[in-house]
Amino acid sequence: MEKIIAILKEIQPDLDTDSKRLIDDQYLDSLSILSLVAELEDAFDVMIPAVEITAKNFNSVEGIYQLVERLKEED
Amino acid sequence: MNSYYSVAYMAVFLPLTILAYQLMPVRKRWLVLLAASYFFFYAISGKLVVFVILSSLSIHHFGLWLEHIDHQEETRKIRMKQKRKVLLFAILLHMGLLVVLKYMPFFLSNLNQLAAVMGLSISWSVSRYALPIGLSFYTLQAVSYMVDVYRGQQKADPHLGRICLYLAFFPQIMEGPIARYRRTADQLYAGRTITYTQLTFGIQRILYGFFKKMVIADRLNPLVKAIFTNYTDYAGEMILLGALAFTLQLYMEFSGTMDVVIGTAEIFGIHLPENFRQPFFSKSISEFWKRWHISLGTWFKDYVFYPVAMSSWSKKLTVRARKKIGPLYGPILCSAFALLAVWIGNGFWHGTGWNFLFFGLYHFTLIFLGSLILPVTRKWSAKWRIDRNHWLYQSWQLVRTFILVCIGELFFHANGLWAGLQMFGRILTTTSLASFQDGTLFSQGLDAQDFIIVLLSLGIVLWVSIQKERQVSIRQMIAAKPIPIRWACYYTLILMIIIFGAYGYGYIPVDPMYANF
Repeated sequence: MEKIIAILKEIQPDLDTDSKRLIDDQYLDSLSILSLVAELEDAFDVMIPAVEITAKNFNSVEGIYQLVERLKEED
Repeated sequence: MNSYYSVAYMAVFLPLTILAYQLMPVRKRWLVLLAASYFFFYAISGKLVVFVILSSLSIHHFGLWLEHIDHQEETRKIRMKQKRKVLLFAILLHMGLLVVLKYMPFFLSNLNQLAAVMGLSISWSVSRYALPIGLSFYTLQAVSYMVDVYRGQQKADPHLGRICLYLAFFPQIMEGPIARYRRTADQLYAGRTITYTQLTFGIQRILYGFFKKMVIADRLNPLVKAIFTNYTDYAGEMILLGALAFTLQLYMEFSGTMDVVIGTAEIFGIHLPENFRQPFFSKSISEFWKRWHISLGTWFKDYVFYPVAMSSWSKKLTVRARKKIGPLYGPILCSAFALLAVWIGNGFWHGTGWNFLFFGLYHFTLIFLGSLILPVTRKWSAKWRIDRNHWLYQSWQLVRTFILVCIGELFFHANGLWAGLQMFGRILTTTSLASFQDGTLFSQGLDAQDFIIVLLSLGIVLWVSIQKERQVSIRQMIAAKPIPIRWACYYTLILMIIIFGAYGYGYIPVDPMYANF
Protein backbone atom coordinates (compact mmCIF):
# COMPACT_ATOMS: atom_id res chain seq x y z
CA MET A 1 0.00 0.00 0.00
CA GLU A 2 2.77 2.47 0.96
CA LYS A 3 4.45 1.86 -2.39
CA ILE A 4 1.21 2.69 -4.22
CA ILE A 5 0.68 5.84 -2.12
CA ALA A 6 4.25 6.93 -2.91
CA ILE A 7 3.65 6.41 -6.66
CA LEU A 8 0.38 8.36 -6.50
CA LYS A 9 2.04 11.21 -4.60
CA GLU A 10 4.81 11.34 -7.19
CA ILE A 11 2.32 11.62 -10.04
CA GLN A 12 -0.04 14.04 -8.29
CA PRO A 13 1.50 15.69 -5.21
CA ASP A 14 -1.76 17.28 -4.00
CA LEU A 15 -3.77 14.03 -4.21
CA ASP A 16 -5.90 12.98 -1.23
CA THR A 17 -4.87 9.33 -0.97
CA ASP A 18 -7.65 8.63 1.57
CA SER A 19 -10.30 9.46 -1.05
CA LYS A 20 -12.54 6.65 -2.27
CA ARG A 21 -13.55 8.67 -5.34
CA LEU A 22 -10.25 9.33 -7.12
CA ILE A 23 -11.86 8.77 -10.53
CA ASP A 24 -15.41 9.92 -9.79
CA ASP A 25 -14.18 13.24 -8.37
CA GLN A 26 -11.65 13.55 -11.22
CA TYR A 27 -8.52 13.61 -9.06
CA LEU A 28 -7.01 11.26 -11.62
CA ASP A 29 -7.43 12.19 -15.29
CA SER A 30 -6.57 10.07 -18.34
CA LEU A 31 -2.93 11.18 -18.41
CA SER A 32 -2.45 10.53 -14.69
CA ILE A 33 -3.93 7.06 -15.18
CA LEU A 34 -1.44 6.33 -17.97
CA SER A 35 1.51 7.46 -15.83
CA LEU A 36 0.13 5.47 -12.90
CA VAL A 37 -0.26 2.31 -15.02
CA ALA A 38 3.31 2.63 -16.33
CA GLU A 39 4.66 3.14 -12.78
CA LEU A 40 2.61 0.25 -11.34
CA GLU A 41 3.70 -2.13 -14.10
CA ASP A 42 7.30 -1.15 -13.47
CA ALA A 43 7.13 -1.36 -9.68
CA PHE A 44 5.13 -4.59 -9.35
CA ASP A 45 6.11 -6.35 -12.58
CA VAL A 46 2.52 -6.83 -13.76
CA MET A 47 0.69 -6.15 -17.03
CA ILE A 48 -2.41 -3.96 -16.67
CA PRO A 49 -4.70 -4.36 -19.72
CA ALA A 50 -6.99 -1.53 -20.91
CA VAL A 51 -10.03 -3.49 -19.77
CA GLU A 52 -8.92 -3.02 -16.14
CA ILE A 53 -9.09 0.78 -16.40
CA THR A 54 -12.33 1.11 -14.50
CA ALA A 55 -13.51 3.46 -11.76
CA LYS A 56 -13.87 0.44 -9.46
CA ASN A 57 -10.17 -0.42 -9.79
CA PHE A 58 -8.80 3.13 -9.60
CA ASN A 59 -11.18 4.95 -7.26
CA SER A 60 -9.08 4.27 -4.16
CA VAL A 61 -5.64 3.13 -3.04
CA GLU A 62 -7.32 -0.02 -1.75
CA GLY A 63 -8.84 -0.71 -5.19
CA ILE A 64 -5.49 -0.23 -6.92
CA TYR A 65 -3.83 -2.53 -4.37
CA GLN A 66 -6.43 -5.25 -4.96
CA LEU A 67 -6.03 -4.91 -8.74
CA VAL A 68 -2.24 -5.32 -8.49
CA GLU A 69 -2.58 -8.31 -6.15
CA ARG A 70 -5.09 -9.98 -8.47
CA LEU A 71 -2.94 -9.43 -11.55
CA LYS A 72 0.10 -10.79 -9.70
CA GLU A 73 -1.87 -13.94 -8.84
CA GLU A 74 -3.11 -14.32 -12.44
CA ASP A 75 0.48 -14.13 -13.69
CA MET B 1 -43.46 14.90 -36.53
CA ASN B 2 -39.82 15.78 -37.22
CA SER B 3 -38.38 16.61 -33.80
CA TYR B 4 -39.04 16.53 -30.06
CA TYR B 5 -40.29 20.12 -30.31
CA SER B 6 -43.03 19.48 -32.86
CA VAL B 7 -46.65 19.80 -31.78
CA ALA B 8 -47.40 16.30 -33.11
CA TYR B 9 -44.70 14.82 -30.88
CA MET B 10 -45.47 16.72 -27.68
CA ALA B 11 -49.26 16.96 -27.94
CA VAL B 12 -50.10 13.60 -29.50
CA PHE B 13 -47.26 11.07 -29.75
CA LEU B 14 -45.76 11.41 -26.25
CA PRO B 15 -49.06 11.58 -24.28
CA LEU B 16 -50.44 8.58 -26.20
CA THR B 17 -47.22 6.61 -25.58
CA ILE B 18 -47.37 7.45 -21.85
CA LEU B 19 -51.02 6.40 -21.70
CA ALA B 20 -50.47 3.14 -23.59
CA TYR B 21 -47.40 2.37 -21.45
CA GLN B 22 -49.26 2.90 -18.18
CA LEU B 23 -52.30 0.86 -19.28
CA MET B 24 -50.20 -2.08 -20.44
CA PRO B 25 -49.32 -4.90 -17.99
CA VAL B 26 -45.83 -4.32 -16.49
CA ARG B 27 -44.22 -7.23 -18.34
CA LYS B 28 -45.33 -5.94 -21.74
CA ARG B 29 -44.58 -2.23 -21.28
CA TRP B 30 -41.24 -2.52 -23.03
CA LEU B 31 -43.19 -3.50 -26.15
CA VAL B 32 -44.99 -0.13 -26.05
CA LEU B 33 -41.64 1.68 -25.85
CA LEU B 34 -40.22 -0.40 -28.71
CA ALA B 35 -43.28 0.09 -30.94
CA ALA B 36 -43.25 3.84 -30.17
CA SER B 37 -39.51 3.99 -30.94
CA TYR B 38 -39.86 2.32 -34.34
CA PHE B 39 -42.91 4.45 -35.14
CA PHE B 40 -40.94 7.62 -34.26
CA PHE B 41 -37.99 6.43 -36.36
CA TYR B 42 -40.30 5.59 -39.27
CA ALA B 43 -42.05 8.98 -39.02
CA ILE B 44 -38.72 10.73 -39.57
CA SER B 45 -36.62 8.34 -41.67
CA GLY B 46 -39.29 6.16 -43.35
CA LYS B 47 -38.05 2.82 -44.64
CA LEU B 48 -34.55 3.52 -43.30
CA VAL B 49 -35.84 2.16 -39.99
CA VAL B 50 -34.59 -1.13 -41.40
CA PHE B 51 -31.01 0.03 -40.65
CA VAL B 52 -31.54 0.23 -36.89
CA ILE B 53 -33.41 -3.10 -36.92
CA LEU B 54 -30.57 -4.81 -38.82
CA SER B 55 -28.01 -3.27 -36.46
CA SER B 56 -29.91 -4.69 -33.49
CA LEU B 57 -30.07 -8.15 -35.07
CA SER B 58 -26.37 -7.90 -35.86
CA ILE B 59 -25.14 -6.95 -32.37
CA HIS B 60 -27.47 -9.54 -30.84
CA HIS B 61 -25.86 -12.21 -33.00
CA PHE B 62 -22.25 -11.00 -32.54
CA GLY B 63 -22.73 -10.76 -28.76
CA LEU B 64 -23.89 -14.38 -28.56
CA TRP B 65 -21.10 -15.47 -30.92
CA LEU B 66 -18.44 -13.80 -28.74
CA GLU B 67 -19.86 -15.47 -25.65
CA HIS B 68 -20.09 -18.83 -27.41
CA ILE B 69 -16.34 -18.68 -28.12
CA ASP B 70 -15.75 -18.13 -24.39
CA HIS B 71 -17.47 -21.44 -23.63
CA GLN B 72 -15.30 -23.47 -26.03
CA GLU B 73 -12.66 -25.82 -24.65
CA GLU B 74 -9.71 -24.15 -26.36
CA THR B 75 -6.93 -22.41 -24.41
CA ARG B 76 -7.56 -18.83 -23.32
CA LYS B 77 -5.04 -17.56 -25.88
CA ILE B 78 -6.79 -19.26 -28.80
CA ARG B 79 -10.20 -18.10 -27.57
CA MET B 80 -9.02 -14.52 -27.27
CA LYS B 81 -7.60 -14.67 -30.79
CA GLN B 82 -10.90 -15.95 -32.17
CA LYS B 83 -12.85 -13.34 -30.23
CA ARG B 84 -10.59 -10.58 -31.52
CA LYS B 85 -11.26 -11.65 -35.12
CA VAL B 86 -15.03 -11.74 -34.57
CA LEU B 87 -15.00 -8.34 -32.83
CA LEU B 88 -12.87 -6.79 -35.56
CA PHE B 89 -15.25 -8.08 -38.22
CA ALA B 90 -18.27 -6.82 -36.27
CA ILE B 91 -16.77 -3.34 -35.75
CA LEU B 92 -15.73 -3.11 -39.42
CA LEU B 93 -19.26 -4.02 -40.46
CA HIS B 94 -20.93 -1.38 -38.28
CA MET B 95 -18.38 1.38 -38.67
CA GLY B 96 -18.03 0.51 -42.38
CA LEU B 97 -21.73 1.16 -42.90
CA LEU B 98 -21.38 4.50 -41.10
CA VAL B 99 -18.37 5.43 -43.23
CA VAL B 100 -20.03 4.44 -46.51
CA LEU B 101 -23.29 6.24 -45.78
CA LYS B 102 -21.87 9.33 -44.13
CA TYR B 103 -18.28 9.86 -45.24
CA MET B 104 -17.95 8.29 -48.69
CA PRO B 105 -19.23 11.36 -50.61
CA PHE B 106 -16.70 13.53 -48.73
CA PHE B 107 -13.76 11.19 -49.40
CA LEU B 108 -14.69 10.65 -53.05
CA SER B 109 -15.16 14.36 -53.83
CA ASN B 110 -11.77 15.07 -52.23
CA LEU B 111 -10.17 12.24 -54.23
CA ASN B 112 -11.69 13.69 -57.41
CA GLN B 113 -10.24 17.11 -56.57
CA LEU B 114 -6.84 15.57 -55.86
CA ALA B 115 -6.93 13.65 -59.15
CA ALA B 116 -7.83 16.86 -61.00
CA VAL B 117 -4.93 18.74 -59.38
CA MET B 118 -2.54 15.93 -60.33
CA GLY B 119 -3.85 16.01 -63.91
CA LEU B 120 -5.27 12.46 -63.75
CA SER B 121 -8.34 11.70 -65.80
CA ILE B 122 -9.97 9.65 -63.05
CA SER B 123 -13.28 10.62 -61.56
CA TRP B 124 -15.49 8.74 -59.12
CA SER B 125 -19.19 9.44 -59.17
CA VAL B 126 -20.27 10.90 -55.87
CA SER B 127 -23.68 9.73 -54.71
CA ARG B 128 -25.17 11.01 -51.49
CA TYR B 129 -27.18 8.54 -49.46
CA ALA B 130 -30.15 9.28 -47.28
CA LEU B 131 -29.08 8.85 -43.66
CA PRO B 132 -31.28 7.24 -41.03
CA ILE B 133 -31.68 9.47 -37.95
CA GLY B 134 -29.20 8.97 -35.14
CA LEU B 135 -26.91 6.73 -37.23
CA SER B 136 -23.75 8.10 -35.55
CA PHE B 137 -25.30 7.76 -32.09
CA TYR B 138 -26.68 4.23 -32.26
CA THR B 139 -23.58 2.94 -34.13
CA LEU B 140 -21.42 4.03 -31.17
CA GLN B 141 -23.86 2.35 -28.79
CA ALA B 142 -23.74 -0.82 -30.90
CA VAL B 143 -19.91 -0.84 -30.85
CA SER B 144 -19.79 -0.24 -27.09
CA TYR B 145 -22.09 -3.23 -26.46
CA MET B 146 -19.97 -5.58 -28.60
CA VAL B 147 -16.65 -4.40 -27.11
CA ASP B 148 -18.05 -4.74 -23.57
CA VAL B 149 -19.13 -8.33 -24.34
CA TYR B 150 -15.69 -9.04 -25.83
CA ARG B 151 -14.00 -7.63 -22.72
CA GLY B 152 -16.26 -9.63 -20.41
CA GLN B 153 -17.67 -6.45 -18.87
CA GLN B 154 -21.12 -7.28 -20.22
CA LYS B 155 -22.86 -10.62 -20.63
CA ALA B 156 -24.29 -11.19 -24.12
CA ASP B 157 -28.04 -10.65 -23.89
CA PRO B 158 -30.07 -13.46 -25.47
CA HIS B 159 -33.19 -11.24 -25.39
CA LEU B 160 -33.46 -9.60 -28.81
CA GLY B 161 -36.21 -7.19 -27.71
CA ARG B 162 -34.04 -5.66 -25.01
CA ILE B 163 -31.25 -5.07 -27.53
CA CYS B 164 -33.66 -3.54 -30.08
CA LEU B 165 -34.98 -1.12 -27.45
CA TYR B 166 -31.46 -0.19 -26.31
CA LEU B 167 -30.52 0.92 -29.85
CA ALA B 168 -33.78 2.59 -30.83
CA PHE B 169 -35.26 4.14 -27.62
CA PHE B 170 -37.13 7.13 -29.10
CA PRO B 171 -36.19 9.97 -26.71
CA GLN B 172 -32.46 9.47 -27.28
CA ILE B 173 -32.31 8.27 -30.89
CA MET B 174 -31.89 11.76 -32.41
CA GLU B 175 -29.20 13.38 -30.27
CA GLY B 176 -28.14 10.85 -27.63
CA PRO B 177 -26.91 10.64 -24.90
CA ILE B 178 -24.78 7.68 -25.94
CA ALA B 179 -25.79 5.18 -23.27
CA ARG B 180 -24.09 1.97 -22.13
CA TYR B 181 -25.98 -1.31 -22.22
CA ARG B 182 -25.28 -2.34 -18.64
CA ARG B 183 -26.68 0.92 -17.27
CA THR B 184 -29.80 1.35 -19.43
CA ALA B 185 -31.04 -1.93 -20.92
CA ASP B 186 -32.59 -3.28 -17.71
CA GLN B 187 -34.23 0.07 -16.95
CA LEU B 188 -35.77 0.19 -20.43
CA TYR B 189 -37.12 -3.33 -20.01
CA ALA B 190 -38.33 -2.98 -16.40
CA GLY B 191 -41.67 -1.33 -17.22
CA ARG B 192 -41.73 0.76 -14.04
CA THR B 193 -45.09 2.29 -13.22
CA ILE B 194 -45.22 6.03 -13.83
CA THR B 195 -45.54 7.86 -10.52
CA TYR B 196 -46.69 11.41 -9.82
CA THR B 197 -43.12 12.46 -8.89
CA GLN B 198 -41.64 10.92 -12.05
CA LEU B 199 -44.27 12.63 -14.19
CA THR B 200 -43.91 16.09 -12.61
CA PHE B 201 -40.10 15.97 -12.41
CA GLY B 202 -39.94 14.77 -16.02
CA ILE B 203 -42.31 17.49 -17.25
CA GLN B 204 -40.37 20.18 -15.34
CA ARG B 205 -37.14 19.13 -16.99
CA ILE B 206 -38.82 19.03 -20.43
CA LEU B 207 -40.17 22.57 -19.86
CA TYR B 208 -36.72 23.82 -18.91
CA GLY B 209 -35.39 22.29 -22.14
CA PHE B 210 -38.13 24.06 -24.12
CA PHE B 211 -37.19 27.32 -22.41
CA LYS B 212 -33.51 26.99 -23.40
CA LYS B 213 -34.34 25.98 -26.97
CA MET B 214 -37.31 28.22 -27.82
CA VAL B 215 -36.54 31.35 -25.82
CA ILE B 216 -32.76 31.50 -26.31
CA ALA B 217 -31.52 29.22 -29.12
CA ASP B 218 -34.35 29.98 -31.56
CA ARG B 219 -34.25 33.71 -30.79
CA LEU B 220 -30.52 33.86 -31.55
CA ASN B 221 -31.03 32.06 -34.85
CA PRO B 222 -31.52 35.05 -37.23
CA LEU B 223 -28.36 36.74 -35.94
CA VAL B 224 -26.25 33.59 -36.17
CA LYS B 225 -27.59 32.75 -39.63
CA ALA B 226 -27.00 36.25 -40.98
CA ILE B 227 -23.42 36.50 -39.74
CA PHE B 228 -22.28 32.98 -40.68
CA THR B 229 -23.93 33.12 -44.14
CA ASN B 230 -22.77 36.60 -45.18
CA TYR B 231 -19.63 36.96 -43.07
CA THR B 232 -17.90 39.09 -45.71
CA ASP B 233 -20.47 41.85 -45.05
CA TYR B 234 -19.53 42.12 -41.38
CA ALA B 235 -16.70 43.66 -39.43
CA GLY B 236 -14.69 41.71 -36.85
CA GLU B 237 -16.77 42.73 -33.84
CA MET B 238 -19.96 41.37 -35.44
CA ILE B 239 -18.22 38.08 -36.35
CA LEU B 240 -17.00 37.88 -32.76
CA LEU B 241 -20.58 38.42 -31.61
CA GLY B 242 -21.71 35.75 -34.10
CA ALA B 243 -19.20 33.24 -32.67
CA LEU B 244 -20.38 34.04 -29.13
CA ALA B 245 -24.05 33.83 -30.14
CA PHE B 246 -23.50 30.50 -31.92
CA THR B 247 -21.64 29.00 -28.94
CA LEU B 248 -24.51 29.95 -26.63
CA GLN B 249 -27.09 28.83 -29.18
CA LEU B 250 -25.43 25.44 -29.60
CA TYR B 251 -25.28 24.94 -25.85
CA MET B 252 -28.90 26.00 -25.36
CA GLU B 253 -30.13 23.83 -28.24
CA PHE B 254 -28.11 20.72 -27.39
CA SER B 255 -28.36 20.87 -23.60
CA GLY B 256 -32.03 21.93 -23.92
CA THR B 257 -32.70 18.87 -26.06
CA MET B 258 -30.89 16.76 -23.46
CA ASP B 259 -33.28 18.17 -20.83
CA VAL B 260 -36.21 17.12 -23.03
CA VAL B 261 -34.65 13.67 -23.65
CA ILE B 262 -33.65 12.96 -20.04
CA GLY B 263 -36.94 14.42 -18.75
CA THR B 264 -38.96 12.19 -21.10
CA ALA B 265 -37.00 9.12 -20.00
CA GLU B 266 -37.52 10.12 -16.35
CA ILE B 267 -41.28 9.97 -16.84
CA PHE B 268 -40.86 6.24 -17.63
CA GLY B 269 -38.54 5.83 -14.63
CA ILE B 270 -35.45 5.54 -16.84
CA HIS B 271 -32.30 7.41 -15.84
CA LEU B 272 -30.19 8.24 -18.87
CA PRO B 273 -26.62 9.54 -18.39
CA GLU B 274 -26.17 13.31 -18.14
CA ASN B 275 -24.50 14.88 -21.17
CA PHE B 276 -23.64 18.31 -19.69
CA ARG B 277 -22.30 19.52 -16.36
CA GLN B 278 -22.15 23.33 -16.51
CA PRO B 279 -19.43 23.34 -19.23
CA PHE B 280 -18.85 27.11 -19.11
CA PHE B 281 -17.56 26.81 -15.54
CA SER B 282 -14.51 24.94 -16.89
CA LYS B 283 -11.08 26.27 -16.09
CA SER B 284 -9.34 24.48 -18.96
CA ILE B 285 -10.23 22.93 -22.32
CA SER B 286 -9.50 19.51 -20.88
CA GLU B 287 -12.05 20.15 -18.12
CA PHE B 288 -14.50 21.58 -20.68
CA TRP B 289 -14.62 18.24 -22.50
CA LYS B 290 -15.37 16.47 -19.23
CA ARG B 291 -18.42 18.70 -18.88
CA TRP B 292 -19.59 19.04 -22.53
CA HIS B 293 -21.14 16.12 -24.44
CA ILE B 294 -19.93 13.84 -21.66
CA SER B 295 -21.27 10.61 -23.13
CA LEU B 296 -19.31 11.13 -26.38
CA GLY B 297 -16.13 12.01 -24.44
CA THR B 298 -16.34 8.92 -22.24
CA TRP B 299 -17.06 6.75 -25.31
CA PHE B 300 -13.88 8.00 -27.00
CA LYS B 301 -11.93 7.60 -23.74
CA ASP B 302 -13.06 4.00 -23.16
CA TYR B 303 -13.04 2.70 -26.74
CA VAL B 304 -10.28 4.73 -28.43
CA PHE B 305 -7.97 6.51 -25.97
CA TYR B 306 -7.25 3.69 -23.52
CA PRO B 307 -7.08 0.87 -26.11
CA VAL B 308 -4.53 2.90 -28.14
CA ALA B 309 -2.61 4.26 -25.12
CA MET B 310 -2.55 0.86 -23.40
CA SER B 311 -1.52 -1.16 -26.44
CA SER B 312 1.73 -3.07 -25.93
CA TRP B 313 3.75 -0.85 -28.35
CA SER B 314 2.47 2.30 -26.70
CA LYS B 315 3.37 0.99 -23.23
CA LYS B 316 6.87 0.04 -24.38
CA LEU B 317 7.26 3.50 -25.84
CA THR B 318 6.01 5.06 -22.58
CA VAL B 319 8.54 3.11 -20.49
CA ARG B 320 11.39 4.20 -22.80
CA ALA B 321 10.18 7.79 -22.90
CA ARG B 322 9.91 7.91 -19.09
CA LYS B 323 13.55 6.87 -18.85
CA LYS B 324 14.78 9.28 -21.53
CA ILE B 325 12.50 12.30 -21.14
CA GLY B 326 11.42 11.87 -17.54
CA PRO B 327 8.42 10.50 -15.60
CA LEU B 328 6.35 13.62 -16.24
CA TYR B 329 6.74 14.43 -19.93
CA GLY B 330 7.41 10.85 -21.12
CA PRO B 331 3.84 9.59 -20.64
CA ILE B 332 2.39 12.91 -21.86
CA LEU B 333 4.31 12.72 -25.15
CA CYS B 334 3.48 9.04 -25.64
CA SER B 335 -0.21 9.61 -24.98
CA ALA B 336 -0.23 12.15 -27.83
CA PHE B 337 -0.87 9.31 -30.34
CA ALA B 338 -3.94 8.17 -28.46
CA LEU B 339 -5.11 11.75 -27.96
CA LEU B 340 -4.67 12.49 -31.66
CA ALA B 341 -6.70 9.38 -32.61
CA VAL B 342 -9.47 10.58 -30.27
CA TRP B 343 -9.61 14.08 -31.71
CA ILE B 344 -9.44 13.06 -35.36
CA GLY B 345 -12.34 10.70 -34.57
CA ASN B 346 -14.18 13.37 -32.60
CA GLY B 347 -13.75 15.94 -35.38
CA PHE B 348 -15.01 13.64 -38.13
CA TRP B 349 -17.80 12.28 -35.95
CA HIS B 350 -19.26 15.79 -35.90
CA GLY B 351 -19.40 16.09 -39.65
CA THR B 352 -17.84 15.65 -43.05
CA GLY B 353 -15.74 18.66 -43.84
CA TRP B 354 -12.20 19.86 -43.31
CA ASN B 355 -13.44 22.39 -40.78
CA PHE B 356 -14.57 19.51 -38.54
CA LEU B 357 -11.12 17.93 -38.76
CA PHE B 358 -9.67 21.35 -37.94
CA PHE B 359 -12.06 21.58 -34.97
CA GLY B 360 -10.77 18.23 -33.67
CA LEU B 361 -7.10 19.13 -34.20
CA TYR B 362 -7.65 22.54 -32.58
CA HIS B 363 -8.91 20.89 -29.39
CA PHE B 364 -6.19 18.23 -29.55
CA THR B 365 -3.55 20.98 -29.71
CA LEU B 366 -5.08 22.93 -26.82
CA ILE B 367 -5.39 19.86 -24.56
CA PHE B 368 -1.93 18.56 -25.44
CA LEU B 369 -0.26 21.96 -24.96
CA GLY B 370 -2.27 22.43 -21.77
CA SER B 371 -0.87 19.22 -20.26
CA LEU B 372 2.69 20.17 -21.38
CA ILE B 373 2.45 23.68 -19.93
CA LEU B 374 0.65 22.79 -16.69
CA PRO B 375 3.80 21.75 -14.72
CA VAL B 376 5.55 24.96 -15.88
CA THR B 377 2.66 27.23 -14.89
CA ARG B 378 2.43 25.48 -11.50
CA LYS B 379 6.14 26.10 -10.97
CA TRP B 380 5.86 29.76 -12.02
CA SER B 381 2.79 30.29 -9.85
CA ALA B 382 4.75 29.01 -6.85
CA LYS B 383 7.78 31.13 -7.76
CA TRP B 384 5.77 34.35 -8.21
CA ARG B 385 3.48 33.47 -5.29
CA ILE B 386 0.34 33.47 -7.43
CA ASP B 387 -2.57 31.88 -5.61
CA ARG B 388 -4.12 29.56 -8.19
CA ASN B 389 -7.20 29.18 -5.98
CA HIS B 390 -7.83 32.92 -5.82
CA TRP B 391 -11.16 33.89 -7.42
CA LEU B 392 -9.44 36.40 -9.70
CA TYR B 393 -7.07 33.76 -11.12
CA GLN B 394 -9.92 31.27 -11.51
CA SER B 395 -12.09 33.92 -13.22
CA TRP B 396 -9.28 34.50 -15.70
CA GLN B 397 -9.15 30.74 -16.35
CA LEU B 398 -12.93 30.64 -16.96
CA VAL B 399 -12.84 33.58 -19.38
CA ARG B 400 -9.80 32.22 -21.23
CA THR B 401 -11.43 28.79 -21.65
CA PHE B 402 -14.70 30.35 -22.83
CA ILE B 403 -12.89 32.44 -25.48
CA LEU B 404 -10.98 29.38 -26.73
CA VAL B 405 -14.25 27.41 -26.93
CA CYS B 406 -15.93 30.22 -28.92
CA ILE B 407 -13.03 30.25 -31.44
CA GLY B 408 -13.39 26.48 -31.87
CA GLU B 409 -17.14 26.80 -32.41
CA LEU B 410 -16.56 29.49 -35.06
CA PHE B 411 -14.65 26.94 -37.17
CA PHE B 412 -17.19 24.25 -36.27
CA HIS B 413 -20.11 26.26 -37.67
CA ALA B 414 -18.33 28.07 -40.51
CA ASN B 415 -19.29 27.13 -44.04
CA GLY B 416 -16.05 25.21 -44.62
CA LEU B 417 -12.48 25.61 -43.39
CA TRP B 418 -11.66 28.52 -45.71
CA ALA B 419 -14.70 30.47 -44.51
CA GLY B 420 -13.65 29.77 -40.91
CA LEU B 421 -10.15 31.07 -41.54
CA GLN B 422 -11.47 34.17 -43.26
CA MET B 423 -13.88 34.87 -40.40
CA PHE B 424 -11.12 34.47 -37.85
CA GLY B 425 -8.89 36.72 -39.97
CA ARG B 426 -11.59 39.41 -40.03
CA ILE B 427 -11.81 39.29 -36.22
CA LEU B 428 -8.08 39.91 -36.00
CA THR B 429 -7.94 42.66 -38.61
CA THR B 430 -11.25 44.53 -38.73
CA THR B 431 -12.50 44.65 -35.14
CA SER B 432 -13.63 48.00 -33.75
CA LEU B 433 -16.71 49.24 -31.92
CA ALA B 434 -18.24 50.79 -35.08
CA SER B 435 -21.03 48.18 -35.59
CA PHE B 436 -22.22 48.70 -32.03
CA GLN B 437 -22.55 52.45 -32.56
CA ASP B 438 -23.93 52.79 -36.12
CA GLY B 439 -27.07 50.67 -35.60
CA THR B 440 -25.74 47.50 -37.33
CA LEU B 441 -26.06 45.54 -34.06
CA PHE B 442 -29.84 45.88 -33.80
CA SER B 443 -30.62 45.38 -37.50
CA GLN B 444 -29.52 41.76 -37.93
CA GLY B 445 -32.76 40.03 -36.97
CA LEU B 446 -32.49 40.87 -33.26
CA ASP B 447 -33.63 44.26 -31.98
CA ALA B 448 -32.87 45.76 -28.55
CA GLN B 449 -35.92 44.00 -27.04
CA ASP B 450 -34.72 40.61 -28.35
CA PHE B 451 -31.30 41.20 -26.82
CA ILE B 452 -32.88 42.04 -23.45
CA ILE B 453 -34.99 38.84 -23.54
CA VAL B 454 -31.92 36.76 -24.43
CA LEU B 455 -29.79 38.38 -21.70
CA LEU B 456 -32.46 37.94 -19.01
CA SER B 457 -33.01 34.32 -20.06
CA LEU B 458 -29.26 33.67 -20.00
CA GLY B 459 -29.29 35.14 -16.48
CA ILE B 460 -31.89 32.53 -15.45
CA VAL B 461 -29.84 29.70 -16.99
CA LEU B 462 -26.72 31.04 -15.23
CA TRP B 463 -28.53 31.09 -11.87
CA VAL B 464 -29.77 27.52 -12.39
CA SER B 465 -26.24 26.45 -13.40
CA ILE B 466 -24.75 28.00 -10.25
CA GLN B 467 -27.29 26.13 -8.11
CA LYS B 468 -26.46 22.88 -9.91
CA GLU B 469 -22.75 23.51 -9.40
CA ARG B 470 -23.50 23.88 -5.68
CA GLN B 471 -25.31 20.50 -5.80
CA VAL B 472 -28.69 22.17 -5.13
CA SER B 473 -31.60 20.35 -6.79
CA ILE B 474 -33.96 23.08 -7.97
CA ARG B 475 -36.72 20.60 -8.71
CA GLN B 476 -36.60 19.26 -5.15
CA MET B 477 -36.40 22.83 -3.86
CA ILE B 478 -39.58 23.73 -5.80
CA ALA B 479 -41.28 20.46 -4.79
CA ALA B 480 -40.74 21.33 -1.10
CA LYS B 481 -42.54 24.70 -1.44
CA PRO B 482 -46.28 25.18 -0.68
CA ILE B 483 -48.64 24.42 -3.59
CA PRO B 484 -49.32 28.08 -4.59
CA ILE B 485 -45.59 28.89 -4.88
CA ARG B 486 -44.91 25.60 -6.67
CA TRP B 487 -47.60 26.23 -9.29
CA ALA B 488 -46.56 29.86 -9.62
CA CYS B 489 -43.09 28.61 -10.61
CA TYR B 490 -44.52 26.17 -13.17
CA TYR B 491 -46.88 28.76 -14.68
CA THR B 492 -44.10 31.37 -14.84
CA LEU B 493 -41.91 28.97 -16.83
CA ILE B 494 -44.80 27.98 -19.15
CA LEU B 495 -45.79 31.62 -19.69
CA MET B 496 -42.19 32.61 -20.37
CA ILE B 497 -41.98 29.95 -23.10
CA ILE B 498 -45.35 31.03 -24.59
CA ILE B 499 -44.66 34.77 -24.43
CA PHE B 500 -40.93 34.93 -25.09
CA GLY B 501 -40.48 31.79 -27.20
CA ALA B 502 -39.31 32.60 -30.73
CA TYR B 503 -41.92 30.68 -32.76
CA GLY B 504 -44.70 31.31 -35.23
CA TYR B 505 -44.76 33.66 -38.22
CA GLY B 506 -41.43 35.34 -38.98
CA TYR B 507 -39.34 32.96 -36.88
CA ILE B 508 -37.22 30.12 -38.19
CA PRO B 509 -36.53 27.64 -35.38
CA VAL B 510 -33.00 26.31 -35.25
CA ASP B 511 -32.64 22.78 -36.66
CA PRO B 512 -31.75 20.05 -34.19
CA MET B 513 -27.99 20.67 -34.35
CA TYR B 514 -26.78 17.23 -33.36
CA ALA B 515 -29.52 15.23 -35.08
CA ASN B 516 -27.66 14.83 -38.36
CA PHE B 517 -24.41 13.60 -36.87
